[in-house]
Amino acid sequence: MNIFVTGLGCISPLGFNLDENLTQLRAGKDGLVRSEYLESSYKNKKFFGEVKKDTASLLKQISVTDKKGLTRTDALAFIAFKEATEQAQLQKEEIESVETAFISASTVGGMCLTDELYRDANLKTYTSDYAESYNCSAHTLRIIKEYNIKGITNTINTACSSSANAIMLGMKLIKTGRVKRAIVGGVDCLAKYTVNGFNALQILSDSKCSPFDTGRDGLNLGEGAAYLVLESEELCIDKPKYARVLGAGNTNDAFHTSSMSDTADGVIACIQEALSDGGVRADKIDYINAHGTGTQNNDQVELTGFKAVFNTIPLFSSTKSYTGHTLGAAGALEAIYSILGIMHNEVYPSLRVKEAIPGFDTQPVANLISDKEINTVLSNSYGFGGNCTSLLFARP
Amino acid sequence: MYILRTSCISPQKTHDGSYVQETVSYTGNKYNAIEPDYKGLIRPAQLRRMGKSIRMGIGAGLPLLKTIEKVDGIILASSEGGLEDCIKFLNQIENYNEGALTPTNFVQSTPNALAGSLALMGGCKAYNMTHVHRGLAFENALLDAILLFEEHKAETLLLGNVEEISEYNFNIETLAGQFKEEETSSHNLLSSQTPGTVCGEGSSMFLLSDKPDNAIAELTDVAQICFPSKEDMIKHINTFLDKNALKPDDIDTIVIGKNGDSKTDFWYDYVCDTLFDSQNKYYFKNLVGEYATSMAFGVFLASEILDGREVPEETVIRKSGVARNILIYNHYKGQQHGMVLLRK
Repeated sequence: MNIFVTGLGCISPLGFNLDENLTQLRAGKDGLVRSEYLESSYKNKKFFGEVKKDTASLLKQISVTDKKGLTRTDALAFIAFKEATEQAQLQKEEIESVETAFISASTVGGMCLTDELYRDANLKTYTSDYAESYNCSAHTLRIIKEYNIKGITNTINTACSSSANAIMLGMKLIKTGRVKRAIVGGVDCLAKYTVNGFNALQILSDSKCSPFDTGRDGLNLGEGAAYLVLESEELCIDKPKYARVLGAGNTNDAFHTSSMSDTADGVIACIQEALSDGGVRADKIDYINAHGTGTQNNDQVELTGFKAVFNTIPLFSSTKSYTGHTLGAAGALEAIYSILGIMHNEVYPSLRVKEAIPGFDTQPVANLISDKEINTVLSNSYGFGGNCTSLLFARP
Repeated sequence: MYILRTSCISPQKTHDGSYVQETVSYTGNKYNAIEPDYKGLIRPAQLRRMGKSIRMGIGAGLPLLKTIEKVDGIILASSEGGLEDCIKFLNQIENYNEGALTPTNFVQSTPNALAGSLALMGGCKAYNMTHVHRGLAFENALLDAILLFEEHKAETLLLGNVEEISEYNFNIETLAGQFKEEETSSHNLLSSQTPGTVCGEGSSMFLLSDKPDNAIAELTDVAQICFPSKEDMIKHINTFLDKNALKPDDIDTIVIGKNGDSKTDFWYDYVCDTLFDSQNKYYFKNLVGEYATSMAFGVFLASEILDGREVPEETVIRKSGVARNILIYNHYKGQQHGMVLLRK
């Protein structure tokens, strides 16, 4: 059965909608800044992939019946959800139909309100507007309620691979005939909580991250939301189709809670599973949108995986060099960037690579490529807890 | 999909099966899990560092993994993950003013840490997933497993839930009006007719197979709906039964998640009065309290019933015949409603 992508919506450090994201990707302009809106002492010490609008303005932008208790996470999710469903021309009754699933993902949830959470969790108040806002699924439930979604709904948290898994599960629900349509993706916000967590793990770079550069010294945290509308062929015969979802792989590296094995077991098995699920030979992959966080561990291990799976490593890059690591939104945001590459026959580069990592006889794409046919793309996501997911997209 | 074996840590002595003879009573709003001795299962140094949710999840899940050569995936459901660790890290941030912090609590606080730890300790490099959709996280985990079996991507799976009581969720849920203001006991919780419920915790784990050999029960299907109207709800259950070639009368046993909250218990009465007024009927939250993935305990109890085991008399509301077709109906805060079908 063919499953098509008929809608794309995103808000990220690169812009407030899909078009703005594309413009920045083409121009090679990253969205990494000293933070303006984060309430943390690190806001001027690290670089962040920040969405360039304050929370009040973001909340003003969305039309939601009851805005009480809404967070920055919720606002981002609503904005990207609206763009994706509008692009897919979904009618109200189609979104409400039991034939439509909605699967989101988040790792931070409403914990962007770290100070409010501290207050509420320690009962330093008598009432709170946010008691129902912190959970990872809070944004999903707000969207479900607002759009009156009655089909299968879900929220995934497998750390940094969360929204890649949301896409995979949506694909499976359509493939097995449970639904005919799935709105899939994820959201995460910059939060004092995660900034301190990643800082304690000593994997935050002080400068703009440089994935796949030999001198890379860590990641930048980012924020954003991205949703895709997946539809079975019968629903979208007369609609614009942006890509076909071919298959997915999901494995666990089973090595360490917060780093990956030198032998890249999880990475290799995951890519192989995606290829076999999609019925695609390794030499058919035109481009890999790598997980490429910019940590010493991730990029080295990911390349080890590429070397094991591919005779010739395909073109690859990490668009985290533009956005930072948007955690629960990353898998879906990068799926969208992969699909933009297919739509426009483009590869968006890895920024700031001065010297390739030795030992692999390959280097990431360093400048925009726009003279090559991009038919099939692999998108990787890896998370704490050993979680690995690879997705395959192709020209419709 | 077939349930081969179960394992359960809960506020009752489910870990050793003695909960049938001897039920533990509770007063107040916290029903804390009775944990087994983890000696021999988890190394002491490891155990000291583990948060409660990981500890309970490993305690329930690892013994099941040890009964089988390999599983083709680990699927977890948890609304909140390691809350105790979350609040510890949060308090570190505030108390040390974002200074030099230790990452252990941060890493353990993420809800996928348990599925990761089980994969690590059980050496399982296959499929790994964590569902966090609050009151429907467990229902989604079940659906995930059904799809894997249907696609022939797995022959055996470990699936389960974990939820812990921590100051964090207890305080926040208190602010949200989730708990009772007056003190109730587990004996009168379900007849209290006042707003709010009590907080429970635990981990139920299931070893699942695509084949019926040596199974204790078959889990045939799962369904879910959010924010339904009363009409939606009945229609949804009927459609679900219909899809499985069943009528309400074919269901001989209903297990429901009544939790004593007068704001939302009407859903159970409404569904039972409308569709299931003479079936065998069981409760379970008077024994284990309420939490977002409590459907997992419901499935554990239903498996015990179908396996022909005794269950505590406190769970039995009406019993007139043998259980062959069980429907479990549970909701969280009246917002997220789940249904699971099991048969012998």
